[in-house]
Amino acid sequence: MAGKIKVLLDAIIEKRSNGSPTLAATTRTKLILKGINPDKFGPNSPDDPVILKKVQDLAAKVGV
Amino acid sequence: MNIKIAYSGKNDATDAVADLKQQLSGVDSKMIIYFASSALDPNSLSDGMQRAFDGSTVFGCSTAGEIISGKMLKDSVVAMALDSTVAETVKIEVVEKVSADPDVSGAMASFGQYFGQDLHDMDVRKYVGIVLIDGLSGAEEQIMDQIGDLTNLTFIGGSAGDDLKFRKTFIYANGKGYTDAALLALVKTTSGFDIIKTQSFRELDKKLTVTKVNEARREVLEFNDQPAPKAYAEAVNASLENASSRFMTNPIGLMVDDEPYVRSPQQIAGNSMIFYCNVLEGMELSLLESTDIIKDTTAALEAKKKELGKISGVINFHCILRTLELQEKGLTDAYGKIFLDVPTIGFSTYGEEYIGHINQTSTMLVFK
Repeated sequence: MAGKIKVLLDAIIEKRSNGSPTLAATTRTKLILKGINPDKFGPNSPDDPVILKKVQDLAAKVGV
Repeated sequence: MNIKIAYSGKNDATDAVADLKQQLSGVDSKMIIYFASSALDPNSLSDGMQRAFDGSTVFGCSTAGEIISGKMLKDSVVAMALDSTVAETVKIEVVEKVSADPDVSGAMASFGQYFGQDLHDMDVRKYVGIVLIDGLSGAEEQIMDQIGDLTNLTFIGGSAGDDLKFRKTFIYANGKGYTDAALLALVKTTSGFDIIKTQSFRELDKKLTVTKVNEARREVLEFNDQPAPKAYAEAVNASLENASSRFMTNPIGLMVDDEPYVRSPQQIAGNSMIFYCNVLEGMELSLLESTDIIKDTTAALEAKKKELGKISGVINFHCILRTLELQEKGLTDAYGKIFLDVPTIGFSTYGEEYIGHINQTSTMLVFK
């Protein structure tokens, strides 16, 4: 499988920003500071289990 | 008067409190924030400030130098009093034992309860958080990470200092001096707020990708699959022996939309490098080169004045490494004067907080 990380990251950004571009940018920055750069993941990115778990945990925390 | 500032150079806590009380009289303050040299007894100072400004929410921390409009100071206390035309409501929480396993969830829940609103529903343009963290706890990243997960509200602040003794820093609240602690304040502003994040660096065309770390120690073992000191020395074009002399002028930055989130090297430890904040495996970092702090800070403040039309006051969380650079260049007076016509207090920090934990930066809370 591929692309799960991007789907989750997009969902996290959408949930936290609620349509606000400013909050979307802040959420992206928070992710980058956590070591997850959303720009590095696309629909064909492999589902690296370590990163996927980190993103899944974060998604659960923010209610995605 | 919506914001009033004062400083005292008295070297006894009781005298300093009396001095500040006299200078800040006439303000119906809702909130008093203060930053003090570690030379002053923390418990006497905190107890004195709490009693002197009974009825206000009073908090602060120890420093590695203080800032007030027009001056950079040492061995003093600076204070800012804000009335209800600036700070409508303030709630503080102290989180203790942060070096072991920080948990801010209780503090954040308390804010929700106090303001009667879920944190996610609070107006991000009205509510702002201030965070002051023991600068020797090493807990800043975890605390900022947790805050960021729990809310969209902006939290800005700094890591407490102890005048470069690196022994013990203090958070002042509830009439006590806390160590190994963090203070979180949530302020419902009346006229809103803004932030300034400024650092004086340009990005160079050299990348250092983190390939091996010891996260808990803020230690990088490898950049670009090479021992970190060797890769850094090559990047700055210096010998291994001289590489550390370049730390101040050539830190590295995590670039986000062309904006660096600075990670400053502290020391070379054998085959690894220790940083003042976390650098995570896989991060692609850029080598930075220093620019002019005075010019950049002036430009940042002027731009914000122009954007907002009016600034009521500024709280400046200013990295100690910037202060040391200013001292070395004889520019501390010039730096203080940047804020001459804006009521400002601040301190030289052991780290700055904004979205995450950063270095060699000024994070400023600007009250409209």
